[in-house]
Amino acid sequence: MSRTILEVTDLRKDYSQRRGLFSMLTGQERVIPAVDGVSFYLRENETVGLVGESGCGKTTIGRTVLRLTDASSGRIVFDGRDITNLSRAELRPLRREMQMIFQDLDAGLNPEMRVRDILREALTVHERPSDAEITRRIRELLEQVSLKDSKLANFPSELSGGEKRRVGIARVLAVRPRLIVADEPTSALDISIQAQVVNLLRDLQKNLGLTYLFISHDLPIVELVSEKVAVMYLGRIVEMGLAENIAHQPRHPYTGILWSSLADKQTTEVTRRATNVAVERERRTWGVFDFEQPASGCRFAPRCPLYKDKGRPAVCTDPASEPQLRDVGHGHVVACHFA
Amino acid sequence: MDSPLLAIENLRTYFYSRAKRAFIRSVDGVSLGVTRGETLGIVGESGSGKSVTALSAAGLVSAGPGVISGRIDLHSNGARRNLLDGLEKYARVTEQDGRVVAVEKDELGWRKHSETLMAGVRGKEIAMIFQNPRSALNPYSTIGKQLVETIRLHTNLRGEREARERAVHWLERVRIDSPRLRFDNFPYGMSGGMCQRAMIAMALSAEPSLLIADEPTTGLDATIQSRIVDLLAELKTETGITTLLISHDISVIQRLSDRIAVMYGGTVVEAGRAAEVLAPEAKARHPYTAALLASIPSAETIRRKSYLQAIEGEVLDTIEVPRGCRFYGRCNRVTEAIRENCAGLEPPLEEVSPGHKVRCWLYPAAGKA
Repeated sequence: MSRTILEVTDLRKDYSQRRGLFSMLTGQERVIPAVDGVSFYLRENETVGLVGESGCGKTTIGRTVLRLTDASSGRIVFDGRDITNLSRAELRPLRREMQMIFQDLDAGLNPEMRVRDILREALTVHERPSDAEITRRIRELLEQVSLKDSKLANFPSELSGGEKRRVGIARVLAVRPRLIVADEPTSALDISIQAQVVNLLRDLQKNLGLTYLFISHDLPIVELVSEKVAVMYLGRIVEMGLAENIAHQPRHPYTGILWSSLADKQTTEVTRRATNVAVERERRTWGVFDFEQPASGCRFAPRCPLYKDKGRPAVCTDPASEPQLRDVGHGHVVACHFA
Repeated sequence: MDSPLLAIENLRTYFYSRAKRAFIRSVDGVSLGVTRGETLGIVGESGSGKSVTALSAAGLVSAGPGVISGRIDLHSNGARRNLLDGLEKYARVTEQDGRVVAVEKDELGWRKHSETLMAGVRGKEIAMIFQNPRSALNPYSTIGKQLVETIRLHTNLRGEREARERAVHWLERVRIDSPRLRFDNFPYGMSGGMCQRAMIAMALSAEPSLLIADEPTTGLDATIQSRIVDLLAELKTETGITTLLISHDISVIQRLSDRIAVMYGGTVVEAGRAAEVLAPEAKARHPYTAALLASIPSAETIRRKSYLQAIEGEVLDTIEVPRGCRFYGRCNRVTEAIRENCAGLEPPLEEVSPGHKVRCWLYPAAGKA
């Protein structure tokens, strides 16, 4: 088995929010835990998918593990080295090994630079290669992301969405990273282009031995590219396991609901299986949830069909017994009292 | 059932791109009919012209030297009116070799005339819901106030109290919890899904003949998306509202549409009953529709972890429209027998079976034309 490249233990990231006259006067802050005690690991050359609704903390995890933002507590170990509290200077050599593909197609593409210069800049951030070497590397990058030579002279605004994405990926590859956090890499693209990019990312992984943390709300794509999937709800991982088990034998009611809402839109038989009748019925009566005031006990209880079916057991809303992830076999973990 | 409510004929909507000094042929000869009581779904990628088609029908194309030509007939209250009637007086398009080279346009006259044509139509006869509901709602006014305003403007309920009751009724109908409390909420205090519900309530409260839903689920969370689709499906059954639905999401189109039009590069490349267009073993199908369907990962693809079938190349840029079929450059079904046609001649949209039309040289019906 390949070795662990990233290990995250009990990661927390709080955002504080000051709002309104009262808190301004009293200086009180409201603390919102965007990521609330998350642990997982990535093995070299594998893909872990991170799914959940917007606001659940997926992107924050991605940014925190790359140290683009500082963790409030917890531990991030990259390639055997604790990077949680490294200084900027100490991080610098590590930056090239961990890169991020942003959802925004224009991120990292200076609108006033031609593609050639964007790539040249990326190649010279960490090294001082010769001009001949730069030319060779640029050609190699273009080949890797299947982009035509003629695009080198273009400005980002002259590129299509798919081409911008390819340049963005080439820019990331320029520093020869080992771990890539891909944050919604396809969501800004048209369907036909999405498929091209997904195929490209998989090829790159195979050829370059990359490790991906793949953040997306597109469940079929996540299931396709990932070995393991972690499902997040309000800052916590509520279930994690092999992609096919998460998709087809979910244990946590929330996972079931996520996949069933997909099945609702496209009535393919396989995804239907993940749905049970109770989930289907209760789904329509979901309340609105409030990220800022999660319920005490299990944070999913207010929306949980199982909680209602079981006659609202006290354990679900007991502040002292928030469900913890436990192993249900084959490395499949779930945080639910009844799963 | 068969009386058309909206008939679009040979619609062309062009914009001038200053940066590229060229005309963008966003919609390039589209003919479509929406029958009373049905939902027509238009599916396509960005730049296919689907949204501009809808905006043209709602008289919302006003940008710079944008020109619209063709006919858009709205049949309502026993009368027929062309929503583009007389607009041609305000713009002259000079074409050369099928390419627009110049447009002279009386911008002010055009806009004034367009407003006259749309008065009493937009909002009342044709209501719209958009992507990004939050930006379509007035942030300075409560949901309730905005609804009451719409109701008093467009229905015969003029009284404040009656309109208020009706507003609460509509909030209930779009399944907003505790409608009386929500009535006094401002848009920023509501989630995206809730705002979209409020938008839908507002659009329907005018009791329009036609609802245009432009990407109604895009930008919402997956779980919320499916509930908005549920809601639209339920309202369709309850009210029988005629709908023009625009989406890039083929699963949303599939779920809600009676008929489907697939657009590519400003033209309709396939149209027909939903069941026929999306049938897994359709006899005739446009290669683009086939490719679109294939690029969604199937259960089989996922299980085998195989590659996705991508459509090679880029979405057509409607400035340099090719002489032949617009999909030719990306098509994987060109055969030697038809290659010459594909490259040099745009195929007509021809019937391949009753009510099912495909714009492709592969099908003999097109060959006869």
